[in-house]
Amino acid sequence: MASSLRLYLTCIRNTLEAALCLQNFPCQEVERHNKPEVELKTSPELLLNPVLICRNEAEKCLIETSINSLRISLKVKQSDELENILTKKFLRFLSMRAEAFQVLRRKPVQGYDISFLITNYHCEDMQKQKLIEFIVQFMEDIDKEISELKLSVNTRGRLVATEFLKQFI
Amino acid sequence: MASVSVHQFAPCITCHAWSPDQSMIAFCPNNNEVHIYKMLEGKWEKIHVLHKHDQLVSGIDWSRRTDQIVTVSHDRNSYVWSLEASEWVPTLVILRLNRAALCVQWSPKENKFAVGSGAKTVCICYYEQENNWWVSKIIRKRHDSSVTSIAWHPNNILLATTSTDGKCRVFSTFIKGVDTKHSSSGSDSKFGEQIMQLDLSHSWTFGIRWSPSGNTLSYAGHDSMIYFVDDIGPSPSAQSLAFRDLPLRDVLFLSERMVIGVGYDCNPMVFAADERGLWSFLRFLDERKQTSNAKYGSQLSGTFGKLYGQSKSGSNEANESSRIRAHDNCITSVVPLKKTRDATVTTFTTAGLDGKVVTWDLQKQQDLMAYLQG
Repeated sequence: MASSLRLYLTCIRNTLEAALCLQNFPCQEVERHNKPEVELKTSPELLLNPVLICRNEAEKCLIETSINSLRISLKVKQSDELENILTKKFLRFLSMRAEAFQVLRRKPVQGYDISFLITNYHCEDMQKQKLIEFIVQFMEDIDKEISELKLSVNTRGRLVATEFLKQFI
Repeated sequence: MASVSVHQFAPCITCHAWSPDQSMIAFCPNNNEVHIYKMLEGKWEKIHVLHKHDQLVSGIDWSRRTDQIVTVSHDRNSYVWSLEASEWVPTLVILRLNRAALCVQWSPKENKFAVGSGAKTVCICYYEQENNWWVSKIIRKRHDSSVTSIAWHPNNILLATTSTDGKCRVFSTFIKGVDTKHSSSGSDSKFGEQIMQLDLSHSWTFGIRWSPSGNTLSYAGHDSMIYFVDDIGPSPSAQSLAFRDLPLRDVLFLSERMVIGVGYDCNPMVFAADERGLWSFLRFLDERKQTSNAKYGSQLSGTFGKLYGQSKSGSNEANESSRIRAHDNCITSVVPLKKTRDATVTTFTTAGLDGKVVTWDLQKQQDLMAYLQG
């Protein structure tokens, strides 16, 4: 792992560690409701300052925290058009299966590729360390996955081209 | 080890309270029920389930003299339960709340109790003989956000509150016909009068408690701070203490000079005051966790495998640190267990989101005894 990536991930891990101090908190505005405050944003005093961690212009991570929920949004590196389309397709594939991931948000926050929403209920039945580990591991793997996909697309492209051009020999 | 016993009652505990003789424990297993367990032949047995609320029970308090349990819930209701022929019978409390109730505490004389709520109000409830129910008087328009925690001064009149607007306030709760005029200081003020407001914290405040004498007030801020306030009144003197660990959820005075703080660090923290009254962080009560970051390498690769590969509760591959510590999730409440004659507490219990109730005894902690006697 490149050292700058490691620093980036460590920074995210430490921020999450401090930010994942959530508690059950019923809605102040609507009777008998209990909703993630970070999504509703009805009471400004229940939100903390959002933290933006950037590795470079193309790769950044926004962590928004409230009293009972935390939203982490990622922007994944996309250096060319192929990576762009692969990232879009791959993350869309994951987002459509969001309920299998529990903490994955169905739609990313504007300007980001993928978002996770962690509520106090997740902290109650999952270990905090494992949750953080999942997010960090996800970030680590997404780059790997995309470059692997890119490689296989290129290999396949080359193969197809070779096969196609064979008939002209 | 400072922890005497650890018992896993439920997957998750939001609040707990002990019976006056400490033979029974009432707790909410993170749902709409209250379970009461009793120690029978060395084993904890479930003897009652109080089922009346229809949303999460957020606060329980068990009165010492009258043996009544008061519960409050996110469904905006509160009940006072009394034991009649081996059955707990609920009495409705007319809270007149339109948002969730968050915390509850009996007053020291147990003729009143206070309820903090998400409606930015505090209800002071007292019993009305002629109607056979508990009625409430509401302190309105004082808080700018939800009231997270409340504490009664030993004089039965003053009530301290913390709120998510980051302020700490002290009110007079004098109710004509319930309180008598000569019950010490503060009795000349009317109901709902604000004695003091402190704006020390930059974030939400939680877990307020008075010292046994009622001279010092302590509460925690979500910015990893703990506050100690002396000279409650028009010109209070406050000490703010920052620490490097995760924020606290609840505090408990063991003596005039010692405070236990519990919270997201899963490990009770001991704060003590020296001879000059300066507070400082002393140490963690449980053995310090060991950083074991190398344990995570064995996870399955692939994005799907990661989620299914990790166990949800981490029971079989629990990492090393959880085995050393008594708690492995956020501690939400700390309750004193035994009252000795001089109001000093040496035994207390903590309960948290990991569903464990841990009993701690400081009798054998030599370095802490000096602060307990002081």
